[in-house]
Amino acid sequence: MTLLAGVAPPRTDDATVKDALRQFITTQLLMQPNMALGDDEELLLSGLVDSLGAVRLINFVESDLRVQVPPEDVVIEHFQSINAIAAYLSQRQQAT
Amino acid sequence: MSTLHLLSHILDRSADRFPDKDAVRFNGQALTYAEWATRANALASALIAQGVRRGERVGIYLNKSLESAVTIYGIWKAGAAYVPLDPQSPPARLKFAIADCGMRHIVTSPVKAAALDELATGTPLECAIGTNDSSPMLRCMPWDEVYALGGATPSVFVMEQDLAYVMYTSGSTGTPKGLMHTHHSGLSYAQLSADLYGVTDSDRLSNHSPLHFDMSTFDFFSGPLRGATTVIIPEAYTKLPASLSKLIQDERLTIWYSVTTALVQLLLRGVLQSRDLSALRWILYGGEPFHPRQLRELMMLVPSARVSNVYGPAEVNQCTYYHVPDLPNDFDESIPIGHVWDNSEGLLLDEHDNEAAHGEIGELVVRTPTMMRGYWDRPDLNARAFYRRPVFGDYEDVFYRTGDLMRRDADGNLRFCGRKDRQIKTRGYRVELDEVESALAVHRDVDECAVFTIPDDEGSTLIHAAVILKPGASTNEATLKSEVAVRIPPYAVPVAIALMDDFPRTGTGKIDRRALREQTINTRTVAGATVQML
Repeated sequence: MTLLAGVAPPRTDDATVKDALRQFITTQLLMQPNMALGDDEELLLSGLVDSLGAVRLINFVESDLRVQVPPEDVVIEHFQSINAIAAYLSQRQQAT
Repeated sequence: MSTLHLLSHILDRSADRFPDKDAVRFNGQALTYAEWATRANALASALIAQGVRRGERVGIYLNKSLESAVTIYGIWKAGAAYVPLDPQSPPARLKFAIADCGMRHIVTSPVKAAALDELATGTPLECAIGTNDSSPMLRCMPWDEVYALGGATPSVFVMEQDLAYVMYTSGSTGTPKGLMHTHHSGLSYAQLSADLYGVTDSDRLSNHSPLHFDMSTFDFFSGPLRGATTVIIPEAYTKLPASLSKLIQDERLTIWYSVTTALVQLLLRGVLQSRDLSALRWILYGGEPFHPRQLRELMMLVPSARVSNVYGPAEVNQCTYYHVPDLPNDFDESIPIGHVWDNSEGLLLDEHDNEAAHGEIGELVVRTPTMMRGYWDRPDLNARAFYRRPVFGDYEDVFYRTGDLMRRDADGNLRFCGRKDRQIKTRGYRVELDEVESALAVHRDVDECAVFTIPDDEGSTLIHAAVILKPGASTNEATLKSEVAVRIPPYAVPVAIALMDDFPRTGTGKIDRRALREQTINTRTVAGATVQML
């Protein structure tokens, strides 16, 4: 997802965001680039992404996807699956 | 009524007294005491059927779940000792522990199955319970087959001095060392801590620590001893303070026990003012100092809770406590670690092993029933850790040397004044800087290296490193970090590695770590660099 690696466009469509997340999670966090990761797959409570991975995931959203996440939003509901993160991001983008 | 002399008896008793009460909870699911005992018995039967014998070391390689609780007691009921393996640690480091203690069996889950082949390569590991993914190197048995074995209590002879658990911790020679605790030391700790904090069957305890952290023994031993409910907190929550505070509220936790860092994170990012934490009656913290200003803020936000600073190396479980009084607004002194437990004796010794004069700094040595048996297969370390000394007349006993330097206040409270060696705490994790240095030093591109700590902005410290590369070597910080991460746990990997042409040196040519440290702090300030927190 070189598209998003540099300067991300301010708004991105849902599918692009999900692909970027999937790519980051499978290649950077899980080191399994060929893994088929579903949009609804449980990431955090299953232990698939460990606690340090959770921090890297939030950092990725903030620095690469350029979305500021306030402390009260750093909750499991917003980060538990690719769909959950995408839904949260679109909610944030509409709010700002 | 059977006697209470083994840690496994804790569960048997509470299953008798409180069969239908929630014993452990995880992510909305629960096990009653009766269900917990049934499952632990089934696991014990499975382990015995797979060849586990009395005194063997059985690994726990699981993300947190209800099975964490089942596994601890199931391993004991098979007559074996549990060895918690950090599910986030690099497999190479775990293989050391597996080989070191001769582990043949491991209890795990499908989500960790991908690493099993590597763990089994070159180690005695031969059997994995809890996963179906057949590894060609291991006999595997999934959980549903385990639970199908039913809940009859296996008959195994075990006694109080038998091994109950082995926890691996950072070692200064570059490899971890295994602390051996017996049923006696574990049960003494469970009974005394349950009494000290008045744990009852109406309490709801947090389990914040991972199993390979000694703090988890309070959650899994002391709580069940009194029929309390232990709420196992998923690992991911430890990095999501706003979710963590909501869990404390929704689960109506009454006793919280964690490293200081976790509470500081809750204070800074946990939106505590919007949560109802009024069920909390006691907050226990330890591992690192709590900044008094932050501690006062926490006490104001959670007025229902008493707060205690607890201290004790994993080698002795806990051994001191300090019940924090109301802190005046202008209070800015460090918080003492308090008094040695009523069942224990603590002495401060000078470098000649004489008792330090009142008000002088000395090394704390402790004599306590909660003390470990020793380090697994390390006679060299045991010779240094244990110290025989007359107690009265000709009667002598063994004390554990903590390596922690302390001073006693006029009112008798102990204050921590530093370490005798290079062991540090970073965000609650105990790390030997020598282990990190060893991991860097063996890297093919590294000629010389130095590891040191720098305070972060949240009351803890972070590990930094500086290296001089071998002539002709070309690598970069990111590569070095990822390569050193194969040898040491994630929390021990330096947050920054500076590549340098030379180090500041003392007159004798030794690396001047103090100057290096100051240089690094100044560089960071000048560059305006910030370190990503959390």
